[in-house]
Amino acid sequence: MAGLSDLELRRELQALGFQPGPITDTTRDVYRNKLRRLRGEARLRDEERLREEARPRLVFLGILWVKMGKPSAPQEAEDNMKLLPVDCERKTDEFCQAKQKAALLELLHELYNFLAIQAGNFECGNPEKLKSKCIPVTEAQEYIANVTSSSSAKFEAALTWILSSNKDVGIWLKGEDQSELVTTVDKVACLESARPRMGVGCRLSRALLTAVTNVLIFFWCLAFLWGLLILLKYRWRKLEEEEQAMYEMVKKIIDVVQDHYVDWEQDMERYPYVGILHVRDTLIPPQSRRRMKRVWDRAVEFLASNESRIQTESHRVAGEDMLVWRWTKPSSFSDSER
Amino acid sequence: MTTSQKHRDFVAEPMGEKPVGSLAGIGEVLGKKLEERGFDKVAYVVLGQFLVLKKDEDLFREWLKDTCGANAKQSRDCFGCLREWCDAFL
Repeated sequence: MAGLSDLELRRELQALGFQPGPITDTTRDVYRNKLRRLRGEARLRDEERLREEARPRLVFLGILWVKMGKPSAPQEAEDNMKLLPVDCERKTDEFCQAKQKAALLELLHELYNFLAIQAGNFECGNPEKLKSKCIPVTEAQEYIANVTSSSSAKFEAALTWILSSNKDVGIWLKGEDQSELVTTVDKVACLESARPRMGVGCRLSRALLTAVTNVLIFFWCLAFLWGLLILLKYRWRKLEEEEQAMYEMVKKIIDVVQDHYVDWEQDMERYPYVGILHVRDTLIPPQSRRRMKRVWDRAVEFLASNESRIQTESHRVAGEDMLVWRWTKPSSFSDSER
Repeated sequence: MTTSQKHRDFVAEPMGEKPVGSLAGIGEVLGKKLEERGFDKVAYVVLGQFLVLKKDEDLFREWLKDTCGANAKQSRDCFGCLREWCDAFL
């Protein structure tokens, strides 16, 4: 370092990427120290770079090993890393197995992405006019062969792995009949992604559609229930009216029977009782008789069971048996209405 | 980091013939040492060195340490002072 002339010192500094100012008596020492420092740093950097080359592969392998759940000897892997890449098609040592697993995972990753994108496209407008979300196995194989440089054997190995793995990989393998489960690779007819990848706009519009549909369904249900309620109220009101009509009828009948009895007491009638049908015909005009039949029958029933002042009897009148009502109490005592 | 009164006084106006001791971080002892090395009585010579080193902080501070034995704080104060003066007046 000491033997360097000013010019050489300048050149050395520039070679290391530093632009020095004028090298004078006062600055010479400073720049010499700078050169020393820069040289040390450069040496360190070169060493780092050599180590860096091997590191990414190492990290990837490390992650792979962890994911596979297999323990590994990092030192061994690092030693293997120092070897040149070899053809791993037929070898079965640990390093090659790791590499194969890596290739398999890469293939699966590509396949997953491809299926997800296709399924997403299908869901969102289907610009490529796909027939269904399920991609035929030949198409998928072709795509994978284009994207990665793997053979069909590797593709089948990937499919087998998916079949044998009991974790959810996100890829569904479907057979000819779309609903049955496949158990062997040759039965697989098409592949479908379990998680389609859709754009944000598409997702938003789908979400909106779903929300609107749900709201509409909710309102329809509400309207339906409300209609049901109205129907029920109407029926209930009708029943109430009928009941009211019945009580009206009962009241009228009681009046008639009582009046008849009073007339009989005053010798205006022949018998103390009056025929039921006779009462009916008195109270209900002929045109309403069919319409009021229900009300009448209920009234008759009511009187038979709930009115103690009127007795329902069967008498022989003019040679015929007929049902009659007879007032059973003295008129002045038992009047509840008048 | 607040600046000292010395710093503020120095950067407030062109340095003219101010002595080397008026630089922030340079006290009596350091000032004397600088004089011995030929960085005479005036501050502008130190400014000269600062500029020749192209205002590089590491180089200047290393130079100051080697020349007069300034510690880290003293060299930092001196560098900061000169740099601000240059920003204002150069």
